[in-house]
Amino acid sequence: MLSVVFFFAPDPAFAQRRFSKNYPAANDVRLQLLNRSGTVTVEGWNRPEVNVSAYLEAPAAVIAPQMIGGTIYINLVKDNEGRTAGNVNFTIRVPYASSVDIETRMGNLTVSNVRGGLVRAHISSEGDITLTNIDASAVSAQNGIGNIFFDGEIQRSGNYRFASLRGDINIRIPMNSSFRLVATAPSTRNISLGPFATPEMLSLADGRRVVGRFGDGSSSVTVTNQRGGISFLRR
Amino acid sequence: MNCKDCQESISAFLDCDLDEPSSSAVREHLALCTGCAKLCEDFAAIVDSCRVDSPAEIIPPNAQALWCRINNIIESEIKPPPAPQPPPGSFVRRWNFTLPQTIAGLAGVAVISSLLTIVGIRNYFEPSGDDFTSRSASTQTTFEKVMSKVGLVDTPQQSRERRYKEQEAAIDYWNKRVQARKSQWDNKMRDAFDRNINEIDQTVTEYNMILQKDPQDDLSGEMLDSALTDKMNLLREFADL
Repeated sequence: MLSVVFFFAPDPAFAQRRFSKNYPAANDVRLQLLNRSGTVTVEGWNRPEVNVSAYLEAPAAVIAPQMIGGTIYINLVKDNEGRTAGNVNFTIRVPYASSVDIETRMGNLTVSNVRGGLVRAHISSEGDITLTNIDASAVSAQNGIGNIFFDGEIQRSGNYRFASLRGDINIRIPMNSSFRLVATAPSTRNISLGPFATPEMLSLADGRRVVGRFGDGSSSVTVTNQRGGISFLRR
Repeated sequence: MNCKDCQESISAFLDCDLDEPSSSAVREHLALCTGCAKLCEDFAAIVDSCRVDSPAEIIPPNAQALWCRINNIIESEIKPPPAPQPPPGSFVRRWNFTLPQTIAGLAGVAVISSLLTIVGIRNYFEPSGDDFTSRSASTQTTFEKVMSKVGLVDTPQQSRERRYKEQEAAIDYWNKRVQARKSQWDNKMRDAFDRNINEIDQTVTEYNMILQKDPQDDLSGEMLDSALTDKMNLLREFADL
């Protein structure tokens, strides 16, 4: 009987603490987050406020968000310098028109329903990046080992950059997009343009790179996957 | 006797140097003319004072200082003589070099101007740090090729090698910092870091092998540069943990 009780009792090493806080914000608020390890999920919502909630695994990290001049800063690397901290799993809700700049040393990043000026997602080592329903003029997604998925609009005069060390990069965009493309997959040579393959797309360096223009080429799309493939999908 | 004759004779009259008829004539005129009488009184007072006063009362207390002051005033009023003008043609004589000196000077000017020109051209044609690894011999201008042959401009391969040395130095620096802090990470973090480093190292090895076979493979050079930059960034970002 006692053994059953101990089996279901929470282990202090895996106990979680919860953090939650709301910040009144303008529609074009900027979120800048640097996490050590754990998942980060950012969702756009139709409210003029930012909600930051997080589950902290033991040993619980210190979280000290700051709102300075229209930007919410959360820096767990700086706030926990020189101490051991467990994973922190964030769920953050921001106004639709926000700019989002999130970074983690390890863990998955997900951003959805954001149509601000900038969306940047950077994973130093391992983790997947998933960007869905994004409408921003500047998008940057970079990771080490892991997949990258982008589903969104390509704005005119926009700048879009996707880079991975190993994993799959999938880009789902509408057919009315116009962009100049430099896609490089030197190891696998697996560059699938799907419906965006046109005679203006040139295969260079024995198929390791594809360069060309789709539409009037008003925006710039750069995709680099050192040891993985690249695929374009119709949205 | 009129006033003029009287005034001319006053000094001799007071000194009693006139004969009796002249003295009587002066005396009569002074009795009738108040102007000449007044003048005679003034002369008489001066003569009397000269006879009565002692020399000590006439000489100023510090005669030598007075003379110094007077001398200074006189000297200050005298304009200094104008500086002697160099005779015409002396400037030419100052720069009158010998023939070997002139040749050596001209050669020095030519060397300096040539060096300045080369430095200017190199700066103008040097590719930016962003794209130099992607440059190849085929993208070099004719001028750059000529300069490369002469040795005044790095070839793309030389630029690449120089860049790699810089990157390796930065990687060594950040790697030392990572190794000092790595023991504080948990196992999951350490494993993820090691997997990524190994992945990058494999990539670097592959590109190095390709470039050894084909140094002209610019895409591999570009990707090698990118992989080394990724490694440097990975180390730098984990060095903060």
